[in-house]
Amino acid sequence: MDAASSVAAGIDRAAFEEFLFREAALLDARRFRDWMALFADDGTYWVPAVPDQVSPFDQASLFYDDRELMKTRVDRLDHPLIHVQTPPSRTAHLVGNIMVEQADAAKGEFVVGSTVIMVEYRDEAQRVFAGRQYHRLRLVGEGFRIVQKRVDLINCDCAFEAIAVPI
Amino acid sequence: MRNGHTGEIARLIEPGRVHRRVYTDPDLFELEMERIFGSAWLFVGHASQVPKPGDYITTELGRQPVVMCRHRDGSVQVLLNRCSHRGAKVVNERKGHAPRLVCCYHGWSYDTDGKLLSVPVPEGSGKGFDKGAFGLASAPRVGDYRGFIFASLAATGATFEDHIGPMKGNIDDLVDRAPDGTLALDLGMHRYVYNGNWKLQVENVLDSYHVPFGHASTVNKDGVQFARREGDQKGAAVIETKKQQTAGSWRDRKSYIVGNGHGWTSNTMLDDGKRASPAFDEYKRVLADKVGAERATQILTPRLHNSLIYPNMSIMGLNIHVRVIKPLAVDRTEVTIYPIRLCGAPDSMNFGNIRLLNVTHSAASFVQTDDLESFVRTQKGLRSNLTDWVDISRGLGDEEPDRELNATRGLATHEMVVRAQYKAWLGYMREAN
Repeated sequence: MDAASSVAAGIDRAAFEEFLFREAALLDARRFRDWMALFADDGTYWVPAVPDQVSPFDQASLFYDDRELMKTRVDRLDHPLIHVQTPPSRTAHLVGNIMVEQADAAKGEFVVGSTVIMVEYRDEAQRVFAGRQYHRLRLVGEGFRIVQKRVDLINCDCAFEAIAVPI
Repeated sequence: MRNGHTGEIARLIEPGRVHRRVYTDPDLFELEMERIFGSAWLFVGHASQVPKPGDYITTELGRQPVVMCRHRDGSVQVLLNRCSHRGAKVVNERKGHAPRLVCCYHGWSYDTDGKLLSVPVPEGSGKGFDKGAFGLASAPRVGDYRGFIFASLAATGATFEDHIGPMKGNIDDLVDRAPDGTLALDLGMHRYVYNGNWKLQVENVLDSYHVPFGHASTVNKDGVQFARREGDQKGAAVIETKKQQTAGSWRDRKSYIVGNGHGWTSNTMLDDGKRASPAFDEYKRVLADKVGAERATQILTPRLHNSLIYPNMSIMGLNIHVRVIKPLAVDRTEVTIYPIRLCGAPDSMNFGNIRLLNVTHSAASFVQTDDLESFVRTQKGLRSNLTDWVDISRGLGDEEPDRELNATRGLATHEMVVRAQYKAWLGYMREAN
């Protein structure tokens, strides 16, 4: 969406930036339950396993969590005997290059693209995840809810060591 | 250990214990690549991965890069993915389609059966250059059972039938779940790596002992695991919470061995009577329409949990998938997980399987990640040489024959299956080819 149409649609990009930064901060603070609460009841979190993956329904994905699976994931992250988080990961997210890609003001739905870099440290090893993420956001009352968060990692089809926390 | 004296290798395996060098010695790893991965029947891929002539996938059999492709005559070829000229890897993509395989370096091109078709500037070839002698090498022996393609890099040894025969029923158990009687590995893949020996993953696929502890984080306060199959409302009872011990139904589970290192575990106890969802009900109806109600009930009554076809693949019956284990180094292993499409099943059922496999066995899953942590910690622990031995003695002497299944039976929380793997391991390793 170009600047003229953003202005015409009355879109304030700062509100989207603020939302994305706060979401990243929740993940870095390991406040996974609060992070989950950002999602709409029909919300999904998707990390494809191949570039340009069209659908999560006919292909494996690294993550494709609806709210039910997300709850199981978050419950497990809170479990005292989650070995792959003993010790826990520490992460730092950097979110930038934010662009409002689609806006349907009437429906109150927006797609916001951004570049994400997450550095993860755990058990003497540090690694980097990077890619472009797309948040489909729905305006609910005063705030946004995530309808879908999709993260396209640049190395999505490589063989990974265990990934325990959402990106 | 460089020269691998048979006697020295035999001393690494005792009836109830294994020497730690089996997991940590780089020289022994090289010998495994030669004597196990260089001769055993290895799973390469499934015919459905290369449906049309010119389709290919690439993989590795031990140290050997290979390309599996469909030739024009319909045959599936397993070729060495190394140019016969100067040695470059010819096909670089993991999968694709190419009517000819062309080397990037000097442009030598090969047919999909490995024949050398042409070389640029042919007049420069030496006198008597015989194109016929410069094709891509083929795996000396290739076997196919219901689309599962195996290859042996040795010209002689146990026949494919000898090797796969006792495990055909386990393959059937999976394939028969497809209403069309065939399955396809065309739903993408999960890939993960870990800093640990390849045998840690091989041992783990039939290890029922670890579940209540290794996977404690997937078990709720009632001792029940999360629902892992389409249509299940909850998972298996794993822990008796009052006594804080492994649940009785879990203790009763059995494992089986049939020689060659192969084995399987009996099904996970789930309430199949209550299994229901729109996708599962529709699948059940479609299956019954195809094979009859009685046979459908038989097929859907779980018998198997996981099956290991030693040394490099397993068939997993709960979150259905095919798993391929690739050793990279003595302390580094890559694993590929293929979701299975049951041909003829409704898309919603196949999606149900994909959805749950994402959270059980992707690199970011709930189940596999804790296993990977255990493998990594085992490899770290085995650096210690204050104790040389790894204990695999649970249930030693308690094995019994199962005449009906023509197998040897033990409890699934015992280590009979691991001992059987080391018996096969030693069989391969003592063979100085």
